Amino acid sequence: MTVDDESIDLKAGLTLVHTVEAHSRTKQIGLSYTLPMDWQGQKQAELLMQIILGVFAVAAFVVGYSMGSFQTMLLIYAGGVGLTTLFIVPNWPFFNRHPLNWLDPVEVERHPKPKPQPLTSKKKSSSKHK
Amino acid sequence: MHSFGYRANALLTFAVTILAILCAFASLSDNLNVPNPSAHVQVLSINWFQKQPNGNDEVSLTLNVSADLQSMFTWNTKQVFVFLAAEYETPQNSLNQVSLWDGIIPSKEHAKFWTHTANKYRFIDQGSNLRGKEFNLTLHWHVMPKTGKMFADKIVMTGYRLPDEYR
Repeated sequence: MTVDDESIDLKAGLTLVHTVEAHSRTKQIGLSYTLPMDWQGQKQAELLMQIILGVFAVAAFVVGYSMGSFQTMLLIYAGGVGLTTLFIVPNWPFFNRHPLNWLDPVEVERHPKPKPQPLTSKKKSSSKHK
Repeated sequence: MHSFGYRANALLTFAVTILAILCAFASLSDNLNVPNPSAHVQVLSINWFQKQPNGNDEVSLTLNVSADLQSMFTWNTKQVFVFLAAEYETPQNSLNQVSLWDGIIPSKEHAKFWTHTANKYRFIDQGSNLRGKEFNLTLHWHVMPKTGKMFADKIVMTGYRLPDEYR
């Protein structure tokens, strides 16, 4: 049932039933819904940041030294930092291409949370009194 | 890295760390420069030479200072401070240094210069030892970099002698 529903969802079949189910699912998987960048995207973003800044730092030093201009080095590096900021800081969609596949709510219903403990402790305390 | 703020923070931290490394390398690159400065100082005249009422000798000189310090300037040099000191030995002190003139050189274009001047700061001895005194004129300099280590060195010029009598 649920697998079929998902495939229909992906194909954007929008009957009333499906939209209701989709809405309930977003409530269940709220975490993945609020993450603007998935785990792999975060890793890519960090790696990309290190590579771009590193390349710009090397280029800035080489150009600055060869031109004999400290200011040129700083300007090139500042440009690199600006470019990296544009690439890394906003929540670009290309950092969100690996969504997490959460278990369906059905699985949760099959394995309910264990019941709270106070009942057993009461029993124990009562036995001690006896 | 999951939110805007965390990524901005990570970026800023990493960028500043790399900036510090760049500055360190810029400072290290100064060691590749081997300066060969030259300086020449001429004492044109003794304006006056007297004993102050408190017993200290004072002399006024007219100097002609010329120097070529262009080779000190690298891409990491902010400015060079130079001063000319008279150095001599007395019975009390094995080394007396009296600053006579100084200057700040802001750029390589100004690093080859000559100046015709009376001593900018007063040449006073702590005592009465200047008559007939042999002294050195030493051009000291401090190279102030934009980032990193400061360099200092000097050129010693010998063979100057003050007159035997006050005038």
